[in-house]
Amino acid sequence: MLTSFVRSGQKVILRIEDILNKVFSSEQNLLYYHGAMPNFCMWMLFLSGLLLFAYYTPTLEAAYQSVEYITDKLPYGDVIRGIHRYAADAMLLTVILHALRVYFTDRYREYRLIAWYSGVALSVFMLIIGVSGYILVWDERSFIIVTKITDFLGSLPFIGSSLASAFLNGEVISNYTMSMSFFLHTGTSFALLVLLWVHYMRISRPVVNVTWAIGSLISGIILLFAGLFPAISGPEAKFTVEPSYFDIDWFYLWLFPLIDTVGNIGAWLVLIAGVTLVTLLPNFVRNHDKEPASVSKDHCVGCRLCSIDCPYEAIYMAPRNDGSKYKEIAVVIDDRCAECGLCVGACNFDAIELPNYKSPQVMDDIRIALQS
Amino acid sequence: MTQAETQSENKLKTKDEVKVAVIACARSVNLEGELSATKLNGVSNCDVIQVPCSGMIQPRMIEAAFNAGADGVIAMGCQIGDCHFREGNKFCRERLLGQRPPMIKKTVPKRRLKGLWMSEVQVDDFKARVEDFKGYVAEQLVEEQKGN
Ligand code: HEM
Ligand code: SF4
Ligand code: SF4
Repeated sequence: MLTSFVRSGQKVILRIEDILNKVFSSEQNLLYYHGAMPNFCMWMLFLSGLLLFAYYTPTLEAAYQSVEYITDKLPYGDVIRGIHRYAADAMLLTVILHALRVYFTDRYREYRLIAWYSGVALSVFMLIIGVSGYILVWDERSFIIVTKITDFLGSLPFIGSSLASAFLNGEVISNYTMSMSFFLHTGTSFALLVLLWVHYMRISRPVVNVTWAIGSLISGIILLFAGLFPAISGPEAKFTVEPSYFDIDWFYLWLFPLIDTVGNIGAWLVLIAGVTLVTLLPNFVRNHDKEPASVSKDHCVGCRLCSIDCPYEAIYMAPRNDGSKYKEIAVVIDDRCAECGLCVGACNFDAIELPNYKSPQVMDDIRIALQS
Repeated sequence: MTQAETQSENKLKTKDEVKVAVIACARSVNLEGELSATKLNGVSNCDVIQVPCSGMIQPRMIEAAFNAGADGVIAMGCQIGDCHFREGNKFCRERLLGQRPPMIKKTVPKRRLKGLWMSEVQVDDFKARVEDFKGYVAEQLVEEQKGN
């Protein structure tokens, strides 16, 4: 049942891509840049964030005013703030698209596990960055978020109260709380880069850059939103006033309506179940028996072409000391091998073969077919 | 009519007689139920040999197809940008264009060799493109005769 569901999802994606190919050509097909699009948004966030960082002050007294200063006084400050706000939404949207595509086109398991697991971690980190970002503004919504997150963390058994005081950075909301939120926002952002390094670890030449056209399109849409719906703050948070303003961003703040509906523990359960389910998705499908490429000692001349072409970093060149006149030999790391045959296509010496599709066999098949 | 002329007459083929070999990625056009052994249903003289990815197609396989009597050869992979193994079809295309080693031998008739990049769902498109290619190969054979 799961397989047929995935198969129909794949058909839908392929049909959409078919249409996009006809309209935009395959060089500009958005879906072929599914990983590059969130990456592009992330760099827009880093750049715009850097400009905000220059003027932002993470204290209870000054935070709100500093954001207002950026928005009202700095030339194009409102635009930068808008870009930062909507690039975050765009990043999440494109990440979802990316994850759906790799899932439904069956590009998420076996030798791709590292990318899948690190992808799940990336999305959790993005949630933390999003929520903490909304605290930094220090309007009434920020105040509500801080109280709700404190309760949410505190509701956990055993570690709850220490988590809550770690988040508040003390026992009450203070300037230290702001420092913590600021750290969570920027520190976790940099951690994304580390996670991305892991994400790309097994991928040779990952497609991380969008084309100029796609980059302009995404920037254009983000700018359009920044212009049409400027990012604004609610009323400043005051300890003497009961906060009420909570304009919701459904991309990053959905946790709070969820907590309101099912309670703190309920929300934890939903969150943990969700993350666990997504993490375990690769386990719901049986992997076929592995039949990795193998190298023939007698034929390999050490030309490196296969190791260059392997798309999953599965081949390395090892020094040779078996009396052969060639200095190096190709070695396949079985677990990483995708059984794609790209190495076979690269080898001109019949030296690397897939056990099920040996190239001499393929050539025989060709001859037999043409003679029949 | 001299004997030489008869022979060259014989080499000319109608579009239907043109023999095409398609070395295809098994993940591109879905040919389930479209093949009788290796013969493509509904298209005359077209054999399809499937490999796991177009990136596996060696120049020598293409040469083998021509040597075994194919008039035209198609190397087929998924839409460029959508290789299941990320880069196979790009590498295949670069080899067809002579931009990536191993190189295709100069003796291979490049004009009768074609790269085709289609997704699983484009079955009808695929057949139409094969028909077009056969027509093109037939014309090409005439051109090559004149050149001789
Ligand atoms: C910060 C967010 C993310 C960025 C910037 C990102 C970026 C990328 C890039 C550039 C690639 C290489 C694509 C290629 O060249 O073929 C990739 C591959 C991949 N990503 Fe992500 N990704 C992100 C989040 C995720 C998430 C949330 C998931 C799923 C849970 C995910 C799963 C994968 C998988 C499975 C691959 C391997 C695909 C393949 O081998 O064909 N990624 N990602
Ligand atoms: S391409 Fe062939 S000959 Fe060259 S290193 Fe790889 S296995 Fe050896
Ligand atoms: S089949 Fe060859 S190119 Fe493909 S992943 Fe395995 S070793 Fe790498």
